[in-house]
Amino acid sequence: MAGILRILGIIGSGMAHNRMLWLVVAGFGLFPIFTHVADLPFWNDLAMRIMLLGIAAMGLNLVLGYGGMVSFGHAAFIGIGAYCVGISQYYGLMDGWLHILFALLACGITGLIIGVLALRTSGIYFIMITLGFAQMLFFLFVSLENFGGDDGMSIDRAEFGIIDLYEPLRLYFLIWGVLVLVGVMLMVIVRSRFGVTLQAIKSNETRVEAMGLVPLHYKLVSYVMSAMICGLAGALFASWQEYVSPDIMHWTRSGELMIIIILGGLGTLAGPIIGAIVFLLLEEFLPLMLETLLPAYAENWMIIFGPLLVLVVLFGRGGLVGLINRIIDRLKGSSASRGRS
Amino acid sequence: MTAPVLSLENISKTFGALIATSGLSLDVRAGEIHALIGPNGAGKTTLIQQIYGALSPDSGSIFLNGDDITSLSVPARVRKGIGRSFQISNVLTGFSVLENAIIAEQARRGHCFSFLSPAFSDASLIAGAEQLLDRVGLLARASQQVAALAHGERRMLELALALAGQPSLLLLDEPMAGAGIEDSQHMTQIIDQLRGKVAILLIEHDMDAVFRLADRITVLVEGQIIAVGTPDEISQNQHVKAAYLGDDS
Repeated sequence: MAGILRILGIIGSGMAHNRMLWLVVAGFGLFPIFTHVADLPFWNDLAMRIMLLGIAAMGLNLVLGYGGMVSFGHAAFIGIGAYCVGISQYYGLMDGWLHILFALLACGITGLIIGVLALRTSGIYFIMITLGFAQMLFFLFVSLENFGGDDGMSIDRAEFGIIDLYEPLRLYFLIWGVLVLVGVMLMVIVRSRFGVTLQAIKSNETRVEAMGLVPLHYKLVSYVMSAMICGLAGALFASWQEYVSPDIMHWTRSGELMIIIILGGLGTLAGPIIGAIVFLLLEEFLPLMLETLLPAYAENWMIIFGPLLVLVVLFGRGGLVGLINRIIDRLKGSSASRGRS
Repeated sequence: MTAPVLSLENISKTFGALIATSGLSLDVRAGEIHALIGPNGAGKTTLIQQIYGALSPDSGSIFLNGDDITSLSVPARVRKGIGRSFQISNVLTGFSVLENAIIAEQARRGHCFSFLSPAFSDASLIAGAEQLLDRVGLLARASQQVAALAHGERRMLELALALAGQPSLLLLDEPMAGAGIEDSQHMTQIIDQLRGKVAILLIEHDMDAVFRLADRITVLVEGQIIAVGTPDEISQNQHVKAAYLGDDS
């Protein structure tokens, strides 16, 4: 037991942000008790949405935060994952495990193709080419009239064996389970030889080449893995929404994922999920707050939201995780200096 | 005489109208320190880049330990035994000194596609990395962040990373550049200790270091070799005096 805790970084010399991740994950695990007692079932829905975007952002973070590749097209993989559910159901396949398998395969293959082509470029060209591929896929699904085209298609929640997703909280804990799984996976990968090599490539590609490694191979593998994680999030997203349309892979969602990661903390394990919490809570409640304070401006809540993001990026180096770490350090520091004096 | 570690045969490289390397042939023998000198713009770095694989020659062949490596990529050449330090020191920032060495060590062992085993707590990798740092006298600084290193120490770390792959040929591109007197002396001493263990091709502007270290010197002017010889021969050579050393005195 202690061994597992040590591996997860909850005790021992693990990084502080591992602990932050597990704290947040545990919070999501216990959250339904709170909503039950407080009788606020709507909040479960919001929590699921946060977890789903959090999972997708964790996937993108592998590429963006740990690999230094600014992919501006990861919403496409969420879309592909979601459409794997929609299209499977259109042909009468209701098995959720099968949907997930299809989503992983489809995103793996698409990620491989886009990765092979896009990773030959870097910098602004990489941003543009990933956006370009995502837009291509977006308009592909818009043009598929069989599957609803622009309007999308409504779907049923998938069937996962004996787990009936229409029973209360079943979907919630399915998503939560995937969050735990993806969290553990990323934590192990980031510390592994592969993960360390990936971060070395982000730091200095020329030096990694001079060590006899081919950076492209590592970048490509991480790109495919992150595409698959986003696809997984997308497949669950479809069941949560009971509806899928090209909107799910609109380019603004790619931007949203990037904002979530930068807000939470680039290249940290807890950053994406913490970023997703703050981002979606603001998105949800800023308009409501404005409506009570300045009803005339309620529609323009982005006027407050935008500068708020800019402030976090400017002053919270390392995002919210960095901010929290600095606060903890300061508290520890002040208590230590009190102890000395 | 043993077979040369590196052998350049008649290689040429032009950039538009500029002839950077012109039908150049050169041998670097096993275990020797071979210095490459010449005035700015003589084509020294272009030549190193072609040996390293970052540039490919327009014509001619490059052999490493008898194998033709002319068409190989940089990582493939590194795996065949080329180590390199860069003109501007090139280490992994954002990592500690020990972590730098661990990454280099795991790259040499060639199993970086492991997704499970943690890298920075692997006892055998740490042992290998510490040995590497010990060779350049950086072991005491192992836990420091790279950002906290002095310029000379960064140079040493880079040398350690270049040595990690156990190369048979080491390309050193101005290892003393920007270093103070003390750092230069330390670097000279470390390079001297490598004599006989690895063949070194050294580009350097610090002539004291070059004449102290080099077993042989090649003088490059406008992409062509005008003289090859021992330090004594080179310092007596009239062409060299006229073309290069004469400018300084």
